[in-house]
Amino acid sequence: MRHETLLIPLSLALFSVGVATAAAEVVVIAHNNTTLAAHEVREVFLGEKQFAGAVRLMPVDNSPAQPEFLAKVLKLEVDRYSTAWTKKSFREGLNPPPLKSGDAEVLDYVRRTPGAVGYVSKAPTGVQIVQKY
Amino acid sequence: MHAGVLAVGSVMALATMAWPTMASASEAESIKALERKLERSLQMIEALEAKVRRLEQASGGAAGDVVKDGAKAIETPTAHRPSPLQKIEVLEQQVGDLTHAMSRHHSGGAPLHGFADVALGRSAENNVVQGLRGFNVGGLDLYLTPQIGDRVKTLMELLFEVEADGSLFTDLERIQIGYAFSDAATGWLGRFHTPYGYWNTAYHHGAQIQTTISRPRFLEFEDRGGILPAHITGLWLNGVFPLELGRLGYDAYAGNSPMLKTTEAGKTLPTSLALRNPTRYSPSANAKGYAGSATLDMQMAGATRHEPSSGFNLWFEPSAWSGWRFGVHGLRATVGDDSPDANRTRLGMIGAYARFIDDNWEALGEYYRFRNRDLSGGTGSHRSAAGYWQLGYNFGRLTPYLRAERTELAQKDNYFAVLEGGRSYRRQVIGIRFDLDPKAALKFEMAKNRKLDLGATDDSFGEAHLQYSIRF
Repeated sequence: MRHETLLIPLSLALFSVGVATAAAEVVVIAHNNTTLAAHEVREVFLGEKQFAGAVRLMPVDNSPAQPEFLAKVLKLEVDRYSTAWTKKSFREGLNPPPLKSGDAEVLDYVRRTPGAVGYVSKAPTGVQIVQKY
Repeated sequence: MHAGVLAVGSVMALATMAWPTMASASEAESIKALERKLERSLQMIEALEAKVRRLEQASGGAAGDVVKDGAKAIETPTAHRPSPLQKIEVLEQQVGDLTHAMSRHHSGGAPLHGFADVALGRSAENNVVQGLRGFNVGGLDLYLTPQIGDRVKTLMELLFEVEADGSLFTDLERIQIGYAFSDAATGWLGRFHTPYGYWNTAYHHGAQIQTTISRPRFLEFEDRGGILPAHITGLWLNGVFPLELGRLGYDAYAGNSPMLKTTEAGKTLPTSLALRNPTRYSPSANAKGYAGSATLDMQMAGATRHEPSSGFNLWFEPSAWSGWRFGVHGLRATVGDDSPDANRTRLGMIGAYARFIDDNWEALGEYYRFRNRDLSGGTGSHRSAAGYWQLGYNFGRLTPYLRAERTELAQKDNYFAVLEGGRSYRRQVIGIRFDLDPKAALKFEMAKNRKLDLGATDDSFGEAHLQYSIRF
């Protein structure tokens, strides 16, 4: 009975993070093996920095949190971000960060993928917090 | 009890069944579908919890349970039954594994991108080249950027365009395969855009990302009168060093030298220019009447007599001057032609450029200086120069712009004398760009041209063009 009592809040904790939120906070996170400074986040998400030491960086975008992230961290609108990546892709053969559906997916990806860098709306555990905005 | 077993089995089956469904859909759609399934699963779990609670109340808490094993639900002894919490964790783990397997490195697919443009134009040119008027198809440029693993990079570009004579032309623009050692070094092998100056690699066939309709005339593509090889087949090393004062980037490349071909199957080249202005041209080109009749062939398949070319591009973006880039670049090649004289020229180019881009302004300027040496005719060295500046200002969706171009090309230099686009010229361009959408632009442009080196037929003419371009 004790476990069943935990079921609902736990389920909500597991799944509700994937729901779009209008969070004011943006937390940039990285896989635990990845060394990244806050001032490098912009370069990573614009394809200017692809490596942290020997580790290939794998940035991922978070669909619900993207406008907030772009405004606060990259100082860009979504359209300009998209254009910047079109140019980067055409000129250097790079692909833009894959777009994840929400915090849960970003967190899961960052936890599991060496070199992964993402952003979520609440500070999580089990990953490296690069910077809170 | 049976209802509870079925419910748990259904939840697990849903998660398992999600795999083939998602594998066949795009990643984004699959993730959304997965989320919907998870929501349904959550609802079913909540229903299950309620049923378990009722069953436990009815039987004093002695109900059996089930455990998930693949897609099957099997009965287990009460002593080993997993708790609902464990079941949720198993489900979450499976879904996580599924999502992770689908998204890691996004390396399985081959992202396809492209540019396309259509236009309406009027050129009043009336000399050895006759200007075209009317509606025209610009080009369809497709490029793929499959990412193979963490460090292997590829870029493939295929262009379909309509020639001046109306024929459809297909060109394997780029096929380059690279390996990223670090941010400071990526090595490429294949055919790529020659990394001289700024314009050639920044815009090339990307009409929609190019502010203007036209390129500077001297930087045109090889088959449209360009005076430099816009493509090269060979090796390319590039990278960036982050410094305290800014970012320092470099390109170093080596490959096949181009060749000047005076004949090209299916294409009618301009009649001899030398006959119209005999005193200014290379003696050999003049005597045989083949001046202005060749275009650069990139020797993409190699050559029976291989001549190497090499070049560099070094640039710096100062931290203190955001948006600025300053660069120097150079190219050296041995260029032969297939004329009766089989001229050979050591092409030597060195140049500098500056670029400024911010939310509103776009300023570009490039300068190219040539010192070409005649290797076959003994006419010595010849100096030439070319350059342009361009300025644009962005008012939201509107961007008016200006550009001025100028070249001084030595006509006694076999290289320029034989080239179809090797005449000196002046050109002023004014235009306006309207972004209908972030991925679609409508541009209108007018140009005033003055072609030199044509003797008594020195020609001034105007042009006007309207272009609709998209990217996808």
